[in-house]
Amino acid sequence: MTDATDTGLGGLPPVEPFRPTLRERMSGWAFYIPIVFMVLFFALPMALTVVFSVFERTMFWMEPGFSLLAYENFFFSARLENFLASMGYSLISVAVSFCLGFPIAVFVRKSVPQAAQHRVVLLFILPFMVSEIIRIFALRPVLQRNGLVNETLLNLGLIDEPITALLYTHTGVIIGEVLSFMPFIVFSGFLAMEAVPKYIFEVCDDLGAGPVRRFVDVILPLAAPGIFAGAVFIFVNGLGVALIPNIMGGPGAVNAGLIATQAITALDFPLAMAVSAIMMATLMGLLYVGHKLFDLTKILAPMN
Amino acid sequence: MNTTTPAVQVRQLCKNYGSVQALKGVDLSIAAGEYFVLLGPSGGGKTTLLRTIGGFHKPSSGQVWLNGQEVSHLPPDKRPTSMVFQAYALFPHMTVLGNVGYGLSLAKLPKAEVRDKSMAMLEMVGLSGYENRRPHELSGGQQQRVQLARALVLGRNILLLDEPLAALDAQLRKDMCLELKHLQEKVGITFIHVTHNQEEAMTVADRIALIADGELVEQGAARDIYRTPQRRFTASFVGENNLLSGNVTAVEGDTVTVEVCGQPLAVDRRDLPVRAGETVALSIRSELVEMVSADGTAAADGCSLSGTYAESVYLGLTLSHRAALADGTEIVSRVVGESDAPDPAPGTAIRVQWKPGALRLHVN
Repeated sequence: MTDATDTGLGGLPPVEPFRPTLRERMSGWAFYIPIVFMVLFFALPMALTVVFSVFERTMFWMEPGFSLLAYENFFFSARLENFLASMGYSLISVAVSFCLGFPIAVFVRKSVPQAAQHRVVLLFILPFMVSEIIRIFALRPVLQRNGLVNETLLNLGLIDEPITALLYTHTGVIIGEVLSFMPFIVFSGFLAMEAVPKYIFEVCDDLGAGPVRRFVDVILPLAAPGIFAGAVFIFVNGLGVALIPNIMGGPGAVNAGLIATQAITALDFPLAMAVSAIMMATLMGLLYVGHKLFDLTKILAPMN
Repeated sequence: MNTTTPAVQVRQLCKNYGSVQALKGVDLSIAAGEYFVLLGPSGGGKTTLLRTIGGFHKPSSGQVWLNGQEVSHLPPDKRPTSMVFQAYALFPHMTVLGNVGYGLSLAKLPKAEVRDKSMAMLEMVGLSGYENRRPHELSGGQQQRVQLARALVLGRNILLLDEPLAALDAQLRKDMCLELKHLQEKVGITFIHVTHNQEEAMTVADRIALIADGELVEQGAARDIYRTPQRRFTASFVGENNLLSGNVTAVEGDTVTVEVCGQPLAVDRRDLPVRAGETVALSIRSELVEMVSADGTAAADGCSLSGTYAESVYLGLTLSHRAALADGTEIVSRVVGESDAPDPAPGTAIRVQWKPGALRLHVN
């Protein structure tokens, strides 16, 4: 110490350990707020859904108890059939959305100038500025028996009778879902293509990988996690959003969300809870399988 | 292959991007088995030229002939070229072996053969034992070696390298330069290497072409480009040349007299079309310039200029003395070796001189 003073550092106070201010100490805790939020408003209600699903049904609500009646009501009725069917049709929606949406994402990444790319993708947000219920409802005059599509096809002489399968059927639900959810595959595909560097296309040109091999060997493996995320999103919504089958569907053309909604309308709360719990379990199971197949952590840790 | 057929012939090649002319009618011929370097400043068109040879760009006009065949209409994979890209352009999801073998498996070769050939090529580039690594587990230099293996394993006889060492640090770049040179000697195919780094160019090249502003400025062996630049641009880009400009006062046979800052300088005409009264450029390499005190021994006639001393810059191997001529033109004298003699004070009157023949004349 005295040496230091002698060599010209005299007058300076001794070095003290760094003390964080109150604000700095508090800011660490701010990161826990989302966890508290998620537990309070997500994990807890989800757990309660399972608990309520085994409660006894009363006239207008339910009372504590243990009954598997709701599950029996689900598994031994047309509900199970409808639930499974809606999973199948959700998959079709995912596939159609992927076939229409992913090429758009690839095209935007590959062929649109860098500066304009994000603007082009933003165009797909525009439909979301119209309320979903209006967007879906607006499909009715287009798809119905004497709607735009049928009238046009009739006038062109391409069909003799109006196509009635377009509305109040599974087809109608799929059309509604694709219209609503395709932008998500464009977004997630666009982000997934970030993992596919542009030079890859030139390397493929040089090595002679044609479009099919290029897609299967290079683009798909690299973009898989992003595509999977988009697909899960569409699948979950196809299964859960009651609005679309409510407007576009018909007898049998329902999904899990609508089954639960109908149970609530019938004041059968344990059944609604059971449907929700089953849907949750199914989706978590699928997510687990997907994670095992594609390693979803890749989307968080891009390769370089 | 017929060795008299050039590997690459480029004829009147033009490439326009909108109103920008990236290539302005380039003519170029590269012999088979040559290590050829396209050297030039960024944005000069050298990469565009390389990519047009490789088929990644369609020329706006002109032709590309490879091994005696017109290929302007062929895609990259149908040409006898393969490419090493600037970025670490590997498939991130494939192993090293997968990257190297991918081109061969596309050609539907049997799996065992793909593997054998890829392993042999990995050994050639010094990456045996790395075949199961992923690209992100490799260093930059190793990644570029994988790219080399991936390109060479295709068995095409012209290798295009687009600034392959640009992303490496200086020491690694030096090592890789030599390795590239030795690799080319070993495989014996034509290498065409694009770079903006003249040291890299001179290390590897059999011949160098200077490309700037969409034109081929000058080509020749590294030594010739450095020692006897024909064009003013070459002198300004390669080595460390002093550039002077002056007026021609007399042309007598092979000797031209040029007045710079009121002092006559003698320079070899080199059969250039030059007339008295013209403004011309002169260049002289800084290591050929000697700085002496103003009242020192008289230099040979027309081989010295007077100026004032400015400063010295110590660079380890060399020491640069900077001086200014009467009109402000800077002139640098570079000397090798340690000298403990004190530098002249700034502002001291000095003379710079050189041996007859060191000064070079350039006309536009």
